Amino acid sequence: MIRALGIALVVCGGLAQAQGQEQTSPEASALLRKIYQATEKLSYAGTFVYQQGKRSETSRITRVTGPGPDGDVERVEVLDGMPREIVRTRDTVRCYMPDSHTVKVERRTGQRSFPAMLPEQISELSRNYSITRGEPLRIAGYDCDAVVLTPKDELRYGYKLWADAATGMLLKARTVDRKGETIEQFVFTQLSIGNVPRERVKSLQKAAQHWRVEDAAVAPTNVAGAGWTVGAELPGFRKIIEVTRRLGEARPVSQVVYSDGLAAVSVFIEPAAGRAEAVRPGPSSLGAFQIYTREVANHIVTVVGDAPAASVQRIATTVEYKRPQ
Amino acid sequence: MKTKISALVDGELERHEAASPLDALGNDEAAREAWRTYNLIGDAMRDTRMLSAGFAGRVAARLAEEPTVMAPSRLSWRSERPRWQLLSAAASLAAVAMVTSAWYLLQDGAAPAPRIAQVAAPVAQVSPPDSANDYLYAHQGYSPRNSLQGVAPYVRMVSSESRAAKQ
Repeated sequence: MIRALGIALVVCGGLAQAQGQEQTSPEASALLRKIYQATEKLSYAGTFVYQQGKRSETSRITRVTGPGPDGDVERVEVLDGMPREIVRTRDTVRCYMPDSHTVKVERRTGQRSFPAMLPEQISELSRNYSITRGEPLRIAGYDCDAVVLTPKDELRYGYKLWADAATGMLLKARTVDRKGETIEQFVFTQLSIGNVPRERVKSLQKAAQHWRVEDAAVAPTNVAGAGWTVGAELPGFRKIIEVTRRLGEARPVSQVVYSDGLAAVSVFIEPAAGRAEAVRPGPSSLGAFQIYTREVANHIVTVVGDAPAASVQRIATTVEYKRPQ
Repeated sequence: MKTKISALVDGELERHEAASPLDALGNDEAAREAWRTYNLIGDAMRDTRMLSAGFAGRVAARLAEEPTVMAPSRLSWRSERPRWQLLSAAASLAAVAMVTSAWYLLQDGAAPAPRIAQVAAPVAQVSPPDSANDYLYAHQGYSPRNSLQGVAPYVRMVSSESRAAKQ
């Protein structure tokens, strides 16, 4: 009897503690908002390490801000292995791939040009995550405050973010699964904020003008009109965009993206006819991404997400086709 | 004795010269204090992050609490190896314990070190599509992580060479 009481007490204690953790604090939300604003407003140059599984890669990142459509430019260059490079302006992303001598170009149609996070979107986040403060930490010479986003269900990962207390610049970001194990982590090893010369964001790939250009040719679409439905959406996720685009050299696909504000899952639908590579239906993963492939009505459905495998699979299994009337 | 211990810390002693300072470390508290001080000086010169006061004592206490692993071992083990090697083994063990504990302490204050998870492959996993990177790239463009981390999350695409190495 005493033992049962003891167990009951321990369980109650555990529950109380769990509930205590689940309360979003206004200070933590404010810090999160500060991080989003810093990402949008600051100029900086630094080096960060990306860790995922056994992989650990160092990259250099530079960002300058300024007026006009080409005012804000960001460039990231992977320093380990093949020197891949990504340059992003407000409405274009260019990805330089030296191994295949290809430049991938993606232009944004007006509807969604890398929007800033609005305060109401932060409160939307707190529906799916409890947002709390974590332990401060010193990273790359900056005194950082921490924000912890703990998921309220198993459909998404948790996040731990460390940002410079003075500017809000994000210095470390860790994604964790339900067991608390790290899925992936970004951490700056060196960073200077402000006063970045504009030439530092120009691509170093001088030869790239002779490379093959793969333009994604993104255009808005409506997959429902073509007979496709993605059934019961995941709780907390909503559709954020629906486009047609090209993948790789010429393959036209439809892409529908669902997101809860932090995690995102993309549904790609493309005709099975004319595909060179073999289709392997089922779940797979690459790096930190979970993938699920299905064949539906002579089409290949590929669902990709930075979310747990179960979430990706759940969305994939609800994709249906009905011939439009 | 202090000079000898200093030389031991710096790794300057030959095997036969090390016997007497190692003996001293085993039974002389003053010698142990000198050992700690010289190591501290070395750490300070190398800019190594400092351990808190009484760290070694706490590690020793924690080690004492650890259960002894009861596994059969060869009886002749002790007699086969000279005492010097035994001590060296003990020292290595202590060093490993120190380094491990220090690693844990240095991670986010006092939290345990992050374990970078290998994504556990469910039984029915297939290999990813050959053009998986095209999908990842297309997906990344709409990831809300971009408004949190700027262009940095694009490095999550897996380069073809690291993919080849993985397979």
